[in-house]
Amino acid sequence: MFFRGGVELKGYKQYFLRKLGWFGITFVVAVLLNFILPRLMPGDPVAVITQKVTQGMTSQSGVSKIYQQYAELFGTKKPMLEQFVLYVKNVAHGNFGVSFSQYPRPVATILRESIWWTICLQFPAIIVGWLIGNMLGALAAYLKGRFDKVLMPISIFLSNFPAFGMAIILLAVFGITLKWLPISGGYGFDMIPNLSWTFVWSVITHYQLPFWSIVLIAIGGQAIGMRSMSIYELNADYVKYSRFMGIKDRKIITYVFRNAMLPQVTGLALSVGTMVGGALVAETIFSYPGLGNTILKGIMGQDYPLISGVTLIVTLMVLIANFLIELIYGLIDPRIKATQAD
Amino acid sequence: MNRLGLRIIMVLFAFLLASSAFSDTLKPGDPLPRNETLYFNGQQWGPVNGWNPYSSNNNNAMGVAQQDNARVIVFETPYIYNMIDGKQYALLADGPWVWNAKRTEITFKIKAAAKWSDGTPVTADDVAYTWTANLKYETQAGVGSKDYIDAITAVNPRTVQVKAKLSPDGRPVNPLEVIHYLSSNYVIQKAWTMKLEARCGGDATKFKADPADDFVSSGPYTKFFTDATKVVYIRDDNYWGKDKSMWGKLPVPKYLAHAIFADNNAGFAALKAGEVDVSQQFNANIQDLWLKDKLPISTYLPEAPYGIGASLPTAYYNLKSYGLDQVAVRKAIAIAVDYQTIISNAMTNQSATFTQVPRSLMNPTAGEQALFDHAAVKSLQWAGNDIEGAKKLLDDAGIKVNSDGWREYNGKKLSYVATCPNGWSDWQAAIEVVAAAGKKIGIEITTNYPEWSVYQTVVTSTPLPPTGYDILMMWSDGAGPTQPWSRIRHLLSSEFANTNNNWNGNWGGYVNPAADALIKAIPLESDAAKLKADYTKLVSIYLTDVPSFTLMYRPQSFHAVNESVWTNFPRADDGTKPPVPPLDMTDGYAIAGLYNLKLVK
Repeated sequence: MFFRGGVELKGYKQYFLRKLGWFGITFVVAVLLNFILPRLMPGDPVAVITQKVTQGMTSQSGVSKIYQQYAELFGTKKPMLEQFVLYVKNVAHGNFGVSFSQYPRPVATILRESIWWTICLQFPAIIVGWLIGNMLGALAAYLKGRFDKVLMPISIFLSNFPAFGMAIILLAVFGITLKWLPISGGYGFDMIPNLSWTFVWSVITHYQLPFWSIVLIAIGGQAIGMRSMSIYELNADYVKYSRFMGIKDRKIITYVFRNAMLPQVTGLALSVGTMVGGALVAETIFSYPGLGNTILKGIMGQDYPLISGVTLIVTLMVLIANFLIELIYGLIDPRIKATQAD
Repeated sequence: MNRLGLRIIMVLFAFLLASSAFSDTLKPGDPLPRNETLYFNGQQWGPVNGWNPYSSNNNNAMGVAQQDNARVIVFETPYIYNMIDGKQYALLADGPWVWNAKRTEITFKIKAAAKWSDGTPVTADDVAYTWTANLKYETQAGVGSKDYIDAITAVNPRTVQVKAKLSPDGRPVNPLEVIHYLSSNYVIQKAWTMKLEARCGGDATKFKADPADDFVSSGPYTKFFTDATKVVYIRDDNYWGKDKSMWGKLPVPKYLAHAIFADNNAGFAALKAGEVDVSQQFNANIQDLWLKDKLPISTYLPEAPYGIGASLPTAYYNLKSYGLDQVAVRKAIAIAVDYQTIISNAMTNQSATFTQVPRSLMNPTAGEQALFDHAAVKSLQWAGNDIEGAKKLLDDAGIKVNSDGWREYNGKKLSYVATCPNGWSDWQAAIEVVAAAGKKIGIEITTNYPEWSVYQTVVTSTPLPPTGYDILMMWSDGAGPTQPWSRIRHLLSSEFANTNNNWNGNWGGYVNPAADALIKAIPLESDAAKLKADYTKLVSIYLTDVPSFTLMYRPQSFHAVNESVWTNFPRADDGTKPPVPPLDMTDGYAIAGLYNLKLVK
């Protein structure tokens, strides 16, 4: 037990507060960067919108008038500090502002509509990839021999495969050539969302290609990591000692894999933290609605509020994931807490 | 079950439940009936923001677009333009419009049968109030036309009078722009507009930002469903246009649907798969779909260029760049460019060649080609890849090759950057050919492709940077009721030479008072012979001074159709009178195509 006395509890409280302080500072810096970085992009977002909305207008004074209207509306000509104060005030009230590229839609509405597509795609893909990869990696380390010799090259190949390459291969093979699965959209091109098995089945079939394009790559990386950790643990002194003690292999393996899992759990937590920004390739190639597509459109349209909104969510999720990992590590591994406290 | 999982399931359930509200005409679980739905691509990118006809930012291009060939499936204009014969046909209007003797006032009537979707009649007062609102709230239509239109009034419930803005000499500022308004801008119901005004408290920003989900329209289709993946329109079976005074029947498809594709590749795959019936996007090597893949896909013309060229993607010279103020340099580069390579590689032959349609300021349509004297400018035209001619031109101008093999003007090497936006693959391919031509004649031309957001910010501002934007590619106008005058104005008029927020043209900064005078005179000219003479002079000036040069001809809209489900799409020489233009059956007179469709089975 780590909380055996007041000293440990006080130590953990200090550790917790220190971490909280650091994450607070990181959050402030991240908010600042979320605001500044999009605005450092070269180009004028109002010009992008003006071009879009003045097509066919022949009057030069009319075009200039439209430009001025949008510049005033979006406040892009105000001093940067004034814009920042307004941004922080709005964010503090949960208001991410109005999208430039999808004006007059609020950023919050856009994010609300797209985030669930991404979470529903990414979360299961990360979990499934993580589970299968770790199981295969552990088995490869334990069984060795032919299984390992076959699995390792495949894992290395998969983990190094670019995401777009995997997506295109799956699309070409299973979508275009074999015609087994649909290649585009979140559900059938001829479907109107409704509460029916036909629609749910359509969603499931459209889910397959983007899902597996993420899972297959994740499996490779996880399997390699887990295999290495397991081999390391299998050769550790405590394993040898356990064997001398006559403890059964099955029991030893539970010790080994529990220890080998620690860094893998960290990886999982970070993957979950970054998932909202991570499905860009799959979403783009399969025209899948989601946050990846949304941020891409935001960047192309220099949509500052939309970019800031998405990056703020990503930042928050990564920070929360990191914070939780640190806290859990502080709990389960006293060495880390002790080192940090020093 | 953890909270996240529970929440996901609850959201999914709520989403499905809420969405089922849309299936009022479909049984739950039914897909859109394939033999009642016409599918599109290339018209709508990104989800729909709203339906407000006063807003210019609905991102509802499939349904709401006020332009030269206005999109009239939901809202309607008094007239619809036909790019094939260059005429405006009455839609809400009853018969042709009429100028008064001085061409200061236009009068037209509204059809007695024209009705709004709420069953009330469309009146002259609706037309007048639309204009009043456009002016008051400074909409795109208002600020775009207020320099040319003084007032629009209702003479009586069915008669509209449009008064042109007058110059100090009592003549109209620009009669062409007055005519343009009639087929480019929607008529919006007065009662609904007043409701919108009341809702927004007269605030112009709120007025234009309102998503207008409660809109009242007069067109044959209305909204049915939108989300992040598609937009679907449903036919209004009470549409007034089934009256004999208009179409005499309803459009054939009950639903129009547009999936929102991530890019052209996704749209192309859907076209091949038969999930798209009408494709308004550039599909490279379109002919392979029927020649190699044996798919029932076709285009407006059966052979190259497969469509009707309407706009002229153009390379503009920055006339402030060193040496580009010299006509010899500009013309030498222009005549050295291998346009056949551009057309075959960049456009995969979906453009007429400059041998088929020699360069001028006109697009390849018969109407525009008839507007100038071909023989008078023949000696000035070039088809390209004339390396020896270009070299001679430079040599004669004293622009010689130095010891390194590059040409110098007044002792300084001629070196330029040719540019266009990154990712615009057909334009990039064209710019590469321009750069290759420079090398062949001893002028160093390198290429650079900034992102669109950067590119458009730079080229629409004055002055252009001293380097990096020496030869820049931009578009020119397509087909419309003010063409070719408006295109020429945008290519040559000095009014755009030194302006910011310049989305109109003349990005290189060309100034020629003689051209300006002709551009000013043409809208006021009604004598056909005089018009032809003026247009011929302008073509002559353009081909002599070469402030920019056309790289290819491009269609107003791409128009490829998959006949797996529907057939009888508009085609060249299909016998329709008036001819239905290849504008995807949504724009201007092209909507007539929706009434001619037939099912394959």
